[in-house]
Amino acid sequence: MRKILLISCVFVLGLFSFAHAKARYISLAPSTTEILFALGLNEDVVGVSSYCDYPPEAKTKENVGDFSRPNIEKIIYLKPDYVFCTGLEQAPVISELKRLKINVYVSDPSNIDDLIKSINDIAKITSRDKEAKLLIADMQAKINSITAKINAIPLNKRPKVFIEIWHDPLTTAGKGSFIDELITVSGGRNIAFDTKRPYSIFSPEEVINRNPDCIILTYMEKEKPAKLMGERFGWGNVSAVKNDRVYADIDPNIIVRPGPRIAEGIEEIHKRLYK
Amino acid sequence: MKKKVIILIFLLLFAGALGIVIGSVKIPLKELFLEQNRSIVIMRILRVLTAAISGAGLAVAGIALQAILRNPLAEPYLLGTSSGAGLGAVIAITLGVSSLYMPAAAFIGAILSIILVYNLARNNNKVPEHSLILSGVIVSVALSAIIVFLISMSANEALHGMTWWLWGNIQVFNPKLILAVAILVTLGIAVIYIFCQDLNAISIGEEEATHLGINVERVKKIMIIMASLITAGLVCICGIIGFVGLIVPHMMRLVVGPNHKTLIPATCISAAIFMILCDIISRVIFPPLEIPIGVITAVLGAPTFIILLKRRQKIG
Amino acid sequence: MKSLLEINNLSGGYYKQRVIKNISCKIEKGDFVGIIGPNGSGKTTLLRLLSRSLAPEEGSVMLEDKDISRMGLKEFCRKAAFVPQDTLINFSFTVAEIVLMGRIPHLERLQPEGKYDIEIAKNAMAMTDTAYLKEKNINELSSGERQRVIIAKALTQDPTLLFLDEPTSHLDIGHQIQILDLLKKLNRDNGLTIIMVLHDLNMASEYCNRVLLLNNGEIFKEGTPQEVLTYQNIETVYKTIVVVNKNPINSKPYVILVSREK
Repeated sequence: MRKILLISCVFVLGLFSFAHAKARYISLAPSTTEILFALGLNEDVVGVSSYCDYPPEAKTKENVGDFSRPNIEKIIYLKPDYVFCTGLEQAPVISELKRLKINVYVSDPSNIDDLIKSINDIAKITSRDKEAKLLIADMQAKINSITAKINAIPLNKRPKVFIEIWHDPLTTAGKGSFIDELITVSGGRNIAFDTKRPYSIFSPEEVINRNPDCIILTYMEKEKPAKLMGERFGWGNVSAVKNDRVYADIDPNIIVRPGPRIAEGIEEIHKRLYK
Repeated sequence: MKKKVIILIFLLLFAGALGIVIGSVKIPLKELFLEQNRSIVIMRILRVLTAAISGAGLAVAGIALQAILRNPLAEPYLLGTSSGAGLGAVIAITLGVSSLYMPAAAFIGAILSIILVYNLARNNNKVPEHSLILSGVIVSVALSAIIVFLISMSANEALHGMTWWLWGNIQVFNPKLILAVAILVTLGIAVIYIFCQDLNAISIGEEEATHLGINVERVKKIMIIMASLITAGLVCICGIIGFVGLIVPHMMRLVVGPNHKTLIPATCISAAIFMILCDIISRVIFPPLEIPIGVITAVLGAPTFIILLKRRQKIG
Repeated sequence: MKSLLEINNLSGGYYKQRVIKNISCKIEKGDFVGIIGPNGSGKTTLLRLLSRSLAPEEGSVMLEDKDISRMGLKEFCRKAAFVPQDTLINFSFTVAEIVLMGRIPHLERLQPEGKYDIEIAKNAMAMTDTAYLKEKNINELSSGERQRVIIAKALTQDPTLLFLDEPTSHLDIGHQIQILDLLKKLNRDNGLTIIMVLHDLNMASEYCNRVLLLNNGEIFKEGTPQEVLTYQNIETVYKTIVVVNKNPINSKPYVILVSREK
């Protein structure tokens, strides 16, 4: 009887340690890195891209190359169980990794629902369903609270927003982009709602024409942004510039990266839209 | 002369070995042949081969064009190959063709643009050098403009990955593709070498060459076709790698002289060595980041050439 | 005896313009022919038509009874060589490499030069007194030395017929005489037939045994220097006043230019 007990204990312990044996994961994109760390996988991440900077612990991990040119040699050498990345520019590398029989998960969410699905997929692969549930519940709660606040406000009273991704050429995030949905969820109206591409060059004249109430810059700007915008020809009369509602103080990474911090991003955007 | 060639061959083998042993990942020599590192070693071997054939191909194509155009600034991308290939690739991506067919699309684009350049420059059956150079430049600029237009209009994010085209890429994943291009390049180099005597005579002057019994127009056509095939083949797998096709021929002329019989083989080998070394540097300078090889060839090539030139000026 | 070169009703020019109009002439083996005439008379055009640089519009040129436009280009170049006015070479070939290129018409594409080829090249350099320049780079030579090297290259082709286009116009008188004496020697001792375009009437008189005076694309007069270089002929063609004397040393015609200004 004692023997059976002993053996079953060892067996259970073995299962337990097996279930939590160190896995080896590599993330090739800042957004997937954030997701992995948010799921508590910090010990199992063995390699990240050079742009993966959040959480700070990510910077201590082995560097496998930059975002569009990950270094395959390094990846192979680290013997990953799974590689997480985004689709787009990494396509040739991805097909080569697959050819070398390395497991790859591609996540490329263009809206919040896709992002949640990605998180669930990643959780399934890494056996972190519990953590994922908690994470998503937390994000959802934050989003729901904002939704409740803006529900009563009719659409045409919501502030018009222009997202400036870059200044030269003037680039914005339009229909179909992740940030576009964040703006809507935060209670704003993206003036670039009719662009043909998610990220496209936008006419400065059209900005003047559509007269946004707020402008949000997703890049770091040291000078007072409203002053800089004011110097652009014809922009002095734009409502956002006149009322000093040009914001460059949101950490771009919480609104540009489709990751766990978007709920925070929505909160920050909402704060500024509804001062 | 034979001694110089033997030294070059040794250097080539040494460079090749170095390229396999050194990489962005530090693997100690004894671990190199372990089963687990096999994929890495194969990747490196493919890289070394790609670097060698692209170096040799571009340099010899450069020699051929410099000889028949009698212009020291002639280089392989002169005839519009690079923008033609880029346009072929961009059109393919825009039409949603699978990335499997990218190299084929780029190759077709390159060939079509060369045909366009050639026919624009043609005057009856003759091709005057200045017309060829001019039409090459014009077609390049026009096609580049179309590429930019298509990229700005398109909704396809994959086009952003096209930057690797501009500065070259030596990591080609498909060994069958490398083999196909290697065969093409070797054939091209062989044909150009067969005409080494003709190229010598044409270097002296077109009329002088005719008086030596050489059918200059025919040789020009064949050289243009060969140089174009080599360049088109290399562009569609490696993108644009500048400097090699322009400067390595000049460097080797300073070392072995302008006689194409020795110039062509010597340039083949030295360009291969040069590319392999540049590739090694691009991988080990800031690992795991890979500096695009076009940057290394320029940064390394320019001072080397200047040193050689200054030394020659002191002697001669 | 069949003539070496037979020119039959030859007409030709550039862009379908008739520069040379209906020229017929027979050149015998061993002739030293000088083609003279005013600017625009078609001297260089005629030379290019004869040396296959230009294709004729009408008529034919027969070399050893074969139409030159039907001959293989290499076959023609084994028999006829061409020395241009001046050749500026931008590549640093050695003199030996340049001279050896003369063997190209005789060699297959990848065939290396054999002992025989090198012998011929050596002889050519000996005859042109360029052997001492063998290892020098062609772009380091003076124009006189360069011209001699180009002639050596032409001789290395082992031709029966040599065309020259104003071979001495860029040379000083010392070098001019040197080149022309060499040509005379080759003509007299080796039986090389020479057809030369030149400007200098007295040179033509001194060295050529036959002179072709061209005017407006046609042969105005042809024959020995004495027959052609008369003051009437020269004044008609060149439209300038000259006096023709006899050279005191060899009794050949000697043309003296007369200025119209006092």
